[in-house]
Formats: sequence, C-alpha cells, structure tokens
Amino acid sequence: MGRVLNILDYALCSLRRKLLKNVSVFAIFTLVIFLFCSFQLVSRALTEAAEQLLTTAPDITIQQMSAGRQISIASSTKMELAGIFGIKKIKERIWGYYFDESNGANYTVIGMHAPFSDSPGDRLPGLSEGRLPAPGERGKVVVSDNIRNHLQLGSRKHFSLFRPDLTQAGFETIGLFDGKLEIVTADLILMTLADARDLFAIPDKFVTDLLVYVANPNEIETIARKISLKLPGSRVITRNQILKTYKVVFNWRSGLGTICLLTALAAFVILAWDKASGLSREEMKEVGILKILGWQTGDIIFLRFCESLTVSLLAFLTGYLLAWMHIVYFDGILFRPVFLGWSVVRPVFSLAPSFSIENLLLVFCLSVVPYLCATAVPAWRAATVRADSVI
Amino acid sequence: MFIDLQAVTKIYNQGQPNEVIALKTVSLAVAKGEMVCVQGPSGSGKTTLLSIIGCIFSPTSGRAAIGGKKISRLPDHFLTRYRRELIGFVFQNYNMIDHLTVLENITLPLLALGVSPSIRERKADHLLEKFGISHRKKFKVNQLSGGELQRAAIARALINDPPIIVADEPTAHLDGKLSLEVMDMLAALKEEGRTVVVASHDPIVSRHHGMAGIIEVRDGVILLNKPVG
Repeated sequence: MGRVLNILDYALCSLRRKLLKNVSVFAIFTLVIFLFCSFQLVSRALTEAAEQLLTTAPDITIQQMSAGRQISIASSTKMELAGIFGIKKIKERIWGYYFDESNGANYTVIGMHAPFSDSPGDRLPGLSEGRLPAPGERGKVVVSDNIRNHLQLGSRKHFSLFRPDLTQAGFETIGLFDGKLEIVTADLILMTLADARDLFAIPDKFVTDLLVYVANPNEIETIARKISLKLPGSRVITRNQILKTYKVVFNWRSGLGTICLLTALAAFVILAWDKASGLSREEMKEVGILKILGWQTGDIIFLRFCESLTVSLLAFLTGYLLAWMHIVYFDGILFRPVFLGWSVVRPVFSLAPSFSIENLLLVFCLSVVPYLCATAVPAWRAATVRADSVI
Repeated sequence: MFIDLQAVTKIYNQGQPNEVIALKTVSLAVAKGEMVCVQGPSGSGKTTLLSIIGCIFSPTSGRAAIGGKKISRLPDHFLTRYRRELIGFVFQNYNMIDHLTVLENITLPLLALGVSPSIRERKADHLLEKFGISHRKKFKVNQLSGGELQRAAIARALINDPPIIVADEPTAHLDGKLSLEVMDMLAALKEEGRTVVVASHDPIVSRHHGMAGIIEVRDGVILLNKPVG
C-alpha cells in the first residue's frame, strides 16, 4: 500500500512539474468532454421536455388527407365515430401557420372550442396572466411574451393579421402563456375556433384536426385502428407516435452531433498517443534512473497510468460539470439551435438536465477509456527502457 | 565471497548478426568489506562487469552470486528486487533527475520500497548531514556544484543501506581535491563493512589507500586481478 501511495504521490508531483504540457492536454480534453456532455444533456432534456408536454396532448389526432397532403376535415365526421366504444370525447381544432411578412416570423395559430380546461386530458399550457377566450367570444387571443415582442405590442393589446384575401382580422390579447412552457407556446396564438376559421378562410363546419380522447389508455392503439378502418383516406396519429417522432428527431440530431464530437475525440486521442509515444531524452533518462534504483517495470507503468488517469478523470469531471452548468445557467446556448432549428420565433424556455448514470458511463467509456488505452502503449514503451541505459 | 563470479560470459544479441561477446568466462571474487577498482579502456567489458555485479542483468552463462544471492538466469523482476536490497549506485554523470530537489532525488530508491515520507526524510536528513550538504536539501540538483552532486549521489546510494556500492567513474568530473574527498568517503563506507566496487581510470582511485585490489579488464577478459600493496 505504501508503495502504491508513494508512486501515486510521485505521479501527482510529476504532473505538477510538467504543468504546461499537462494543462494543455487537460484543457483540450475538458473541452471535448464538455461539448460531448452538453450534447447529451441537451438532447436528453429536450426529449424529456417533449415527453412531459405530450402528456397534455390528445390521445388520437385525426386529419383528412388528399393526394398525400392534409386538407380540412368536416366536423360531421365526428358522428361517424360515435359508434366506436371507448371514445370519451371528440373535439375540433384548427391548427395552422401564419407567416408574418413584416417580421419574417412564422406563428402557430390554434383555434379550439372553449373552455379548454374541462378535463385532465385536455389541459392547456398554463397562463401567467389574463384568461382564455370565453365561448362565443370573438377577436380575443392568448399569446406568449415572445409573440408580443415580435408584434412589438408594447403596452398595447390590439393587433391585426391578414386573411388570405388580404383583409385584416383584428385581435385583442387577453392572456399570456406561462414562460415555463415556452418550448410549445413560444410562437403560439390561441383563439376560438370561429376566429381561426375566419383567419384562414376555412369553410364553416370544417376544421383541420379532430382530437379524440379515450377512456382507457390501453385501448388507444385499438381505437386508432378502428378509426382508420372507419375513415379511409384519413391520417390517425396517436400520442405515442408523436413522441416517437420527437425522439427520432432529437436522437438523429444528437447522433449527428455525437459523430462530429467523436471524431474530435478520436483526433484528440490520436494526438495524445502521438505526444505520449515520443519519449524525450529527459523522460528516458528519468525512467532509466528509476529502474536502476530499483523501480520495477510495473511501477513505471503504474506511474504513467496514474498520470493519465488523473488528467483524464479531472478533465472528465470538469467537462461534465461545465456541461451541466452550460445547460442549467446558460440553457445550452451552444447547442439549442442544432436541436430546435433556426426559426425566427425561437423558444426561450429553460432546460432541466437530468442525471443519467447510463449517459455518464457512455461518455466515460468513450472518453476516459480510449485516452487510457492510447497512453498505455507509450507507458509500456517507457517502462521497458533498460536500466543500464543510464550507465 | 560476497561477490562471486565463476566463468561468467555475457553475450548481447545472442544468435543475431550484431552479436557481441562482452565478457568471456570471467571469474572474480570480492570479499565483504573490501574495496576494489575495475580498470580498462572503453569497450573492454568494464560496464558489463559492473552491470552484472550491480544486478542489472544476469550473465548469459556461468555462475554469479552477489551478496549471497544467486543471480544467474534470474528474471528481471527478481534482479530488480535484489538490486533494490543489495546495491547502491554512484555514477560518473551523477544521474540525478534535474527537476527534482536534492531530497527528492536522494529518497527515490525508497519510494519503490513503500517507505513513508516522514521516514524517508529522516533517513535523508541523516545522510545529508553526514556528507555536509543538508543546507542544499531543498535545492534543485542543477543548482549544485560537481562535488555537492557527487556527495548527493553517494547519499542516494546509501539511502536503502545496501551492503554493496557500485561506483562507475565517480571522480570523472571532479578535480584532484574533490576526487580524493569522494574516494575518502567511499573508503569510509568500506570501513563500515560495505563492499565497494569502483570502475575508474583515475590514478587517485586506483592508488587510494583504501583500495584492496585492482581488476584490469580488456576485450572481455580479466587480465589482471592483483591486490594493492
């Protein structure tokens, strides 16, 4: 034990003596780990945020398709589904996008029948102030702070949007979405079904989606299949499918980023190997002296291992900690555009990173372990310097 | 005999085109507490002989016993262990690690023995005091003079209290006065009961009053093994 502690102590002193070289390696390694962990944490936080938000989504969404594109669906289609046992409720929704030319921004417009919060499965994102439009109320909307800023409303409450025939539809903001849910409400304008129909010039008795709520969550897939059979030519999407799509999108982006960062990591490991494999005359002399003074080959390998482990472990912990701070305090500012896209109305929500031992182990295995392996060969080469080389 | 070599041969790169026979059936005996001088020109096999006596490698053939331990055909692991226990080295170019302090250099052999820092320092203090360089304890070795470096090297050779001291040209970089001083130190070690083997061309070494014998090596063969007197 005393021998191990002595060698460990010697390794730490040795790191301190070659400060510049080791600090450089540490800084590059920390940067790679930081980028890698940030990517992992942002990806995971976003997937979890999407999962959480989708708990408020309808169980099944029905859309009418024509020539492979979505078209309006008649409200009366609800009647055809009345016979399917297990359906708790069907609601109408208009979901569209409005391009604001003056700001170059795209807004999401949702029109629904109020009230919105009549059941647990039909919860809408909370409001930080104001109220939702009441049934039959016209020209009243709820927006996010982001939209207010884009529309440059300031203290005003009234604004107007253009209908397809370029006539103006006037609106008054009566509520503001809670900032915690910016990930979905950043570009959202919520209004009544009648206002949305008017804005997009959708004929009466037509909507873009029918939202189906199912009494028993285990029955969702079965009911979705039955709806598909009843409504040929329609698209039936379950909540799970939406979640899968989110996961695929985030995982794909995460995977792409990971590949780029792994390439950087591989380059670093090669660099580390290259640097460590070239034994300087000074290093050869040191090893020769240590060996002639009674250090075993194993002692030298252990010494080098301690040096590499200290640098890589410190870099790993620092990189992970910095990545964590990057997410918590700076909302993953470096990688948000990669994951969220470059839309004009970008959500400004806060990310909450979650600790995952699998992710931590993955990063450890892809960073510290290759580094240790890369430095093992040079360590062995150093250790096999002959003791008589210094005579 | 404390150092006993019987018909020792050392061949480097045996069986290969660059094969070199460094020692040819050499026999040598040095008693405990004796100081002998090994002489010979460059390439004569002097260093190989010292390396075998210093347990750095074992001979290709023949029998070698150092400090009562048979080292013929021993694996490297055991040789290192015997070297740690039996041998203290003093080198021509001091072989100190430049970026370490005198204290750190002197205690290097004790690290691999698992000796605690406090005991290491106590032992080093004793030796530094003995050789009159305690005021240089915390200095980097490149701040020391040649004489101080050689004293530090002798202190390091003694830190694990070995029964055998192997010194390779210990006076090569020193002037006459310092050379005599170093030889006196080595002779004092002999008086303590240690066996001292010194390789040197320096007449100050071979003619030193403490020297018990001279071993002349040439072309891998011992030409002369005569007692001084």
